[in-house]
Amino acid sequence: MPGPVTTQHKPDKPPALRGFEHIRRFWNPRINCWTAKILPGEFFVTRSDEVISTILGSCIAACVRDPLLRVGGMNHFMLPEDQSTGKSSWLEGPNGLSTRYGSYAMESLINELIKLGADRGRMEVKLFGGAAILSAPTDVGARNIAFARGFLKLEGFRVAAEDVGLTCPRHVDYYPATGRAMLKRLPTLGVRAIITEEAKYSERLTREEPRDDVELFD
Amino acid sequence: MKIMIVDDSSAMRMIVRKTLRLAGFEGHEFSESDDGQKALTAIKTSAPDLVLSDWNMPNMTGIELLEALTMDGIKVKFGFITTEATPDMRQRAAAAGASFLISKPFTAQSFKDILGVHIK
Repeated sequence: MPGPVTTQHKPDKPPALRGFEHIRRFWNPRINCWTAKILPGEFFVTRSDEVISTILGSCIAACVRDPLLRVGGMNHFMLPEDQSTGKSSWLEGPNGLSTRYGSYAMESLINELIKLGADRGRMEVKLFGGAAILSAPTDVGARNIAFARGFLKLEGFRVAAEDVGLTCPRHVDYYPATGRAMLKRLPTLGVRAIITEEAKYSERLTREEPRDDVELFD
Repeated sequence: MKIMIVDDSSAMRMIVRKTLRLAGFEGHEFSESDDGQKALTAIKTSAPDLVLSDWNMPNMTGIELLEALTMDGIKVKFGFITTEATPDMRQRAAAAGASFLISKPFTAQSFKDILGVHIK
């Protein structure tokens, strides 16, 4: 005789922290967790037991957490395409400062964690993505990886785990509370959507430049 | 002129310096601090002509630094370079006596536009 059907306890949706209400969150029955899904250019930070999920092509996702406070987050970014030629380094592309977008993405995430009480010295980082995917003349993924590694080294962060490069897109489920990251390498075919999404994001970055603003108080 | 860059991110301090160079501001004396508390002490001893400060930092934030300087009667030209720039923050910055606010990710052009007024 079959036993009674047990349903997995579904906790209430954890509250979104201020500033992250716009991120799409859903109950994921596959992993029995509330899941925040982030897209290229977005980031998400939480102090709850939930998962942050994304699909990466040539973009990078940095997963950062403070193990003591069990707060953490993930970003999803790429550097704008840099078509000029010349001397290039991870910090300064040939056309100047395209890496400021990467620094901005990293700093935004780190700042939100610091606001939650996280300590820079305790932060644990995992790095994913940077595949050679977009049909660009340069390997955008490699440039993104070089930037992320260079930035983290300069900031004194230790990379606890990474899965970067190659030519495969990746699906990442990150559990900020425990630091666990579940990674699945995806076949290149069948994920046209993420490639299109990233290409649009890359175009947007190039087109939007410059998008800073300045205010004089004097 | 003496310019102090205050930011908890060493990458960001480096980027600010590079952007200043790209914007054509060269030949100045730079110093750096990685939080507001250290900057407060350093400003008292080194008396910079201009402070370029991040907002969100551990120990003492940029706005707390500016407010502490004012409280101690120290007058220094002070501008924010920050990832976050809400209307509330802008208002508080202006009220505390900041000269300007540049939001990240910034460009060399915005540095040129705004700092041309302040860096001679």
